[in-house]
Amino acid sequence: MCDQTFLAIVFGPCDKCSKEKPLRPVYIKSEQLSYCSLCVEMMATEGLRENETLASLKSEAESLKGKLEEERAKLHDVELHQVAERVEALGQFVMKTRRTLKGHGNKVLCMDWCKDKRRIVSSSQDGKVIVWDSFTTNKEHAVTMPCTWVMACAYAPSGCAIACGGLDNKCSVYPLTFEKNENMAAKKKSVAMHTNYLSACSFTNSDMQILTASGDGTCALWDVESGQLLQSFHGHGADVLCLDLAPSETGNTFVSGGCDKKAMVWDMRSGQCIQSFETHDSDINSVRYYPSGDAFASGSDDATCRLYDLRADREVAIYSKESIIFGASSVDFSLSGRLLFAGYNDYTINVWDVLKGSRVSILFGHENRVSTLRVSPDGTAFCSGSWDHTLRIWA
Amino acid sequence: MKELVSNSTTNISQARKAVEQLKMEAYMDRMKVSKAAADLLAYCDAHIGEDPLIIPVPASENPFREKKLFCTIL
Repeated sequence: MCDQTFLAIVFGPCDKCSKEKPLRPVYIKSEQLSYCSLCVEMMATEGLRENETLASLKSEAESLKGKLEEERAKLHDVELHQVAERVEALGQFVMKTRRTLKGHGNKVLCMDWCKDKRRIVSSSQDGKVIVWDSFTTNKEHAVTMPCTWVMACAYAPSGCAIACGGLDNKCSVYPLTFEKNENMAAKKKSVAMHTNYLSACSFTNSDMQILTASGDGTCALWDVESGQLLQSFHGHGADVLCLDLAPSETGNTFVSGGCDKKAMVWDMRSGQCIQSFETHDSDINSVRYYPSGDAFASGSDDATCRLYDLRADREVAIYSKESIIFGASSVDFSLSGRLLFAGYNDYTINVWDVLKGSRVSILFGHENRVSTLRVSPDGTAFCSGSWDHTLRIWA
Repeated sequence: MKELVSNSTTNISQARKAVEQLKMEAYMDRMKVSKAAADLLAYCDAHIGEDPLIIPVPASENPFREKKLFCTIL
């Protein structure tokens, strides 16, 4: 099961104001204390203490960064692919397009599977959001958003609603019904409000909360019913392009990737960044947790995908080839985590052996950039969406 | 994207927050890569038998591979 090591958020009396709140560790004169987030803010905004200047704080930050690298390097005793040498190599793969979903009038930007392993929601540049039955390729629902570039869409865990958003800076939830003359647009509920485009959204374990990522550099957690902001996550230095929730039922963390080349792991209850990784050379377009929840993969414009282990707190594998020079737009793992599927801007999908670090297969078919890729909930197939206006189901 | 506020308090508070964040990250508990990698391998091993994309299930059980037509007579 999910046995992540993450910062345990302690709930108790703050060492400064004595109120009962979620606490964070702070270090004052080498002593570790526990402050509530309000006291941390107040401490941060106090005037300079003795012997402290802006320059000294900056140099302390630099030396801490160096120490962080040192600590990480100490435990780097072996490479993942070395440990994986004793693992059997995978056989030949025959993966073909089994279904092609045609109907979008413009670039497909995002897609998501329903938990019933059959339905798919997809969104495109022309503002259309379509719900498909992937077995029959029939369209079950369609709605036109008031904005173009619907960059994010998600299926609710119950299968009864979808969420989507894009250049309207909002995330809206549409309930799905099977009425004859359904007017989906009339039942629309605006949930999230950002100050820049919505790049990613995901329901948490229930239909009641949505997590969003935005071009304004923040992520946020919203209550669907009231539209209230429950928690916001600040720390990225530029647009946040993607997010993924940790797979455990009790999981309270998620990972986000952005244009600042950083992938950050957050605690949903406190809003705090727990870990951050900065090894990519360009924007991170997609992040996805390994099925056990102990690691995550990222795909970036620097043409590489990387695997980061959360407990070792470092990058443990790079999936790249000299012949691959176009950015990876989206990544997802197969059910066991042995395969990593990555869609690229050179119209192909590369299949990587996660443990050995080698490419297992390359899939052709799309006639333009692959923009989105998700494996179905039971792992029997995966779906890719592309700027060529189509979605393809591969198995 | 960010407004440039030349307010010394803001700069100090940002620098302090950065230092606190880095301290927290530097002092966190880590495990050796060999152990973490072994765990990833173990997870893969345990679940690879159930992975339909690696060990293909018979075509009749995979709804995408079978050639049955899904049409309902209304």
